[in-house]
Amino acid sequence: MPTIKFSVKDLQNLVGSKLHLERIKQLLAYCKAEVGSYDKTSDEISADFADTNLPYLWSTEGISRLLKGVIGKEKGIPRVSIKNSNYDVIVDDSVSAIRPYIVAFAARGKKVDNYLIKQLIQLQEKLCESFGRRRKKVAIGIYRLNNINFPVHYKAASPESVAFVPLDFKKAMTLAEILQTHPKGKEYGWILNGLKRYPILMDAENKVLSFPPIINSATSGKIDIGDSDLFFEATGTDLKSLHLAANIFAYALHDRGFEISSVNIQYKNGTIKTPLLKTEKIKINENDVEKLLGLSLKKGDIKSLLEKARYDVQGDSVEIPSYRGDILHRVDVIEDIGIQHGYDKIKGISLYEYSPGRTFEIIKFVNDARELMIGQGYQEIMSPILCNMDLLYSKMNLKDFGTIEIENPMSETFSCVRTWLIPLLMDVLSKNKHVDYPQKIFEEGIVTIKKGVAVVDYERIAAVAAHNNANFTEIKQALDYLLRLFGIPYSIRETGHDSFILGRVGRVSVNGKDIAFIGEISPNVLRNFNMIVPVAAFELNLTALYEAVKRFRKL
Amino acid sequence: MSYMDIRALIEGLHPLERKVAPFLEKGLTLTELTKKTGLQEVEAMRALQWLENKGVLSIVSLDKEIAELDANGKKYVMEGLPEKRLLFEIKPRPLPVEDVMKKLGKEEAGIAIGILKQKAAIQLVGGRIGITEHGKQISEKSSLEEQLIKKLVHGPVAVSALEAEERFAFENLLKRKQIVKKRIAKIKRIELTELGVQLAKQKLQNIDFIESLTPELLKSQGWKSKKFRTYDVAINVPQIFAGRKQEYRKFLDEVRNKFLSLGFEEMTGPVVESEFWNMDALFMPQFHPARDIHDAYYVKEPKFARLDEKIVQRVQQAHEKGIDGSKGWGYAFDRNKTKRHILRTQGTACSARKLASKDLKVPGKYFGITRCFRPDVIDATHNADFYQTEGIVAGDNLNIRHLFGLLELFAKEFAGAAEIKIVPGYFPFTEPSCELFAKHPQLGWIELGGAGIFRPELVTMLTGKNLSVLAWGLGIDRIGMFKLGLKDIRQLFSHDINTLRTMKVV
Repeated sequence: MPTIKFSVKDLQNLVGSKLHLERIKQLLAYCKAEVGSYDKTSDEISADFADTNLPYLWSTEGISRLLKGVIGKEKGIPRVSIKNSNYDVIVDDSVSAIRPYIVAFAARGKKVDNYLIKQLIQLQEKLCESFGRRRKKVAIGIYRLNNINFPVHYKAASPESVAFVPLDFKKAMTLAEILQTHPKGKEYGWILNGLKRYPILMDAENKVLSFPPIINSATSGKIDIGDSDLFFEATGTDLKSLHLAANIFAYALHDRGFEISSVNIQYKNGTIKTPLLKTEKIKINENDVEKLLGLSLKKGDIKSLLEKARYDVQGDSVEIPSYRGDILHRVDVIEDIGIQHGYDKIKGISLYEYSPGRTFEIIKFVNDARELMIGQGYQEIMSPILCNMDLLYSKMNLKDFGTIEIENPMSETFSCVRTWLIPLLMDVLSKNKHVDYPQKIFEEGIVTIKKGVAVVDYERIAAVAAHNNANFTEIKQALDYLLRLFGIPYSIRETGHDSFILGRVGRVSVNGKDIAFIGEISPNVLRNFNMIVPVAAFELNLTALYEAVKRFRKL
Repeated sequence: MSYMDIRALIEGLHPLERKVAPFLEKGLTLTELTKKTGLQEVEAMRALQWLENKGVLSIVSLDKEIAELDANGKKYVMEGLPEKRLLFEIKPRPLPVEDVMKKLGKEEAGIAIGILKQKAAIQLVGGRIGITEHGKQISEKSSLEEQLIKKLVHGPVAVSALEAEERFAFENLLKRKQIVKKRIAKIKRIELTELGVQLAKQKLQNIDFIESLTPELLKSQGWKSKKFRTYDVAINVPQIFAGRKQEYRKFLDEVRNKFLSLGFEEMTGPVVESEFWNMDALFMPQFHPARDIHDAYYVKEPKFARLDEKIVQRVQQAHEKGIDGSKGWGYAFDRNKTKRHILRTQGTACSARKLASKDLKVPGKYFGITRCFRPDVIDATHNADFYQTEGIVAGDNLNIRHLFGLLELFAKEFAGAAEIKIVPGYFPFTEPSCELFAKHPQLGWIELGGAGIFRPELVTMLTGKNLSVLAWGLGIDRIGMFKLGLKDIRQLFSHDINTLRTMKVV
């Protein structure tokens, strides 16, 4: 969710109306944005924009354009006239397997000031980061037009063959050196991983403009206060997204009073002029609107609402402005009709169908098991599902029996999914040694176990009793109570389990299937948790028990 | 003090109190009381505290100095003090100083020589120690010090209870090595009130109250001829901690019951999910910003899920080329990525599974209460894993007005909110989308959740039908925190047993 900063005064100027702060806050809802803060000294609003598919709104120009429609200052698609030019960009075939596409245009006739530079950089950064997939899909450069000798060449070069002075540095560096030492090289170098040649943008005199998508040249790759003629380019892997980026910037600079000239991009098999500013059309009628919004709007109402949202409408045909790339289906347009109509004016109605509430049978079973433990004086615990291997195994004296580990954990503490519950309860006991004993606690919840290529979730319940006289009898009474009241016969046999004391641990089975283990926790494990009272514990697979009980009851 | 008061008092006496009562007198100490009654100290103390509560007496705590024997003192009681032993050693003939030192030990010999010299009981001649006439006399008598340790061997004595010369001897011995010691003892002593004085005069032993009602008494009807001892019903009793539900889990149980009562059917899904069900099936393009590596936990092994090829094919087609009047996203769908195992990031994955399942009912109302996982730094607003509540309503002709009606209902049912606000929102899988806010009396507008109508591409590719599907999610953790009065989301999974035991029921 991008956060965008802009000045209230600038917005007022662009909209051409003295909107006060509260009104702006209300109007931003039309942009699906929420004001985070307003700084009085800098007169800046900071707002969060929810819709990642509407990058044109990440600039004052884009916001103003929409708001002019909302408040009725303008309607329909604003038209931008483009002058033809003889600026050529020649795309060498060597980039086709690396970073195949480039779009460009020139903007002239208006002096840039400090604020506008900041706005352009903000739009450029947000667009490249989020929409441009951290520059992989789209990377943008803006230059002083007069420094460039056309035609510009977009080609691939080997890492050592080209050197130039990158932004923020004083000496010339090769492309390889930039990737190694320049901060931007380190940040975005991953995009070029594994490539033998890198994309480069040079002018007719072999002067480097930029090394996309990494860094621009310090001499010709930037704009300054007072510049009035700009050159825009965007390179990337997806031509559709590049056209959209060019359209958004062309509109923004046009809104600022620049005159836009196209650039001729010469590919091996043909030339295209950018920015395209090509609009698309989609058909919508009153029935579609009523079906989705439940509003019976007339054709005229729909037309005027759409024009507020800056569409053009002719009959059933709706023309979409070229700075929007989010319209895949008519529902995307109908949402705009709803927003312009006002969600506060859409009255909620009740559902008309009766339906019975229903949950899984095992939920009742699980809740019965919980109640039976609580009735025996056990306190219920709830823990995160994420935990760590040290807790599950090292501390419990056990080997991994099928854990789902996380490839990209945020911390070691939460780096895998729990496979059993007793370790979590031991952890609780070890954190509560100062609390009155006896401590009798249990947890019911999901554990997840890897079984070959499959992954299985189980409902489990585990209980521990900790106090000076905690022993096998006590915990077996608890488990016996549970199984007895579920009415299912069980057997228990001695088993080996390194978390427990040898000779005091049993496997419980029902109808030949192992469903639980029970015993006194080994002193080694107790030491690992710094415990100085004995602990008796059981853990029971409720999913398996439920199946067994269900089958047993049917017999 | 009326007759009735004292009767009522006596009828309410606990057996322990009754045992103590005859011995009550001013200045009585706890130690004396235990000796006289044969009660344990804790029992006697408990009886005194109860009697204090009833206004019979007051308990005064005093620090008292106690004189008692130390290790060497206990030895000397048997052997005699070193100075006496020295006199006996030299009585037959004078001995060299070294021999005396050897016999008595250097330290004690030095002190003994010093003391005896002062009393002119010995004399040093040519490195030998001899006894004087006075010394011979002294050796026949027992000294004050000897008398004192013989007294103390029978048990500690209060310093204040020592005679003047005994105290003098005690002070002398304190200076020497581990013969006697002084310690401070806490003495409990009672002061009787007027009621107490009255009570002490009563002959209690003969009054036979019923303490416990026993089966024998019931059978024999013996209770009819006796009186029940009355209780102090306002008495403080020790606190207990019984078993109970975890409060947040209880809240989630209530949420489930609420959905059931509103006619919703529960749905679920696995913790380890494929990117397919978690995102692709929701028509979220694989290049969507919310699908970066830092927005989901990726599973080490097994890396890939097994999926039904037919449905993957349909979803791929919709992503690449569109479906049902949609342009699609126009990119090359990655078959490996869609199979990649992650931990479920959103409960909406369960909605996708439900829509694609054969047992989907139309019309149908579904909800899920699911654990979800996102790589966040853990703090007061982010937990390692968290709960999401979400659901869908599938029907043939549902529109945004039904959705708004549903959201109004939820706000009322789950958050008790009378005033709500619905504003435009954005979710990759709904169009239109909105956010739901409720007015909290103290905190103002708080976000309860998000909602929308599932995109037609999503519905068509999963169901093969042209349905309307309303979808919504509620921030149930946040609503739970409000309900339980918690400020830190981590407290929902508190591991503090004291907190869990004492948390108020809400």
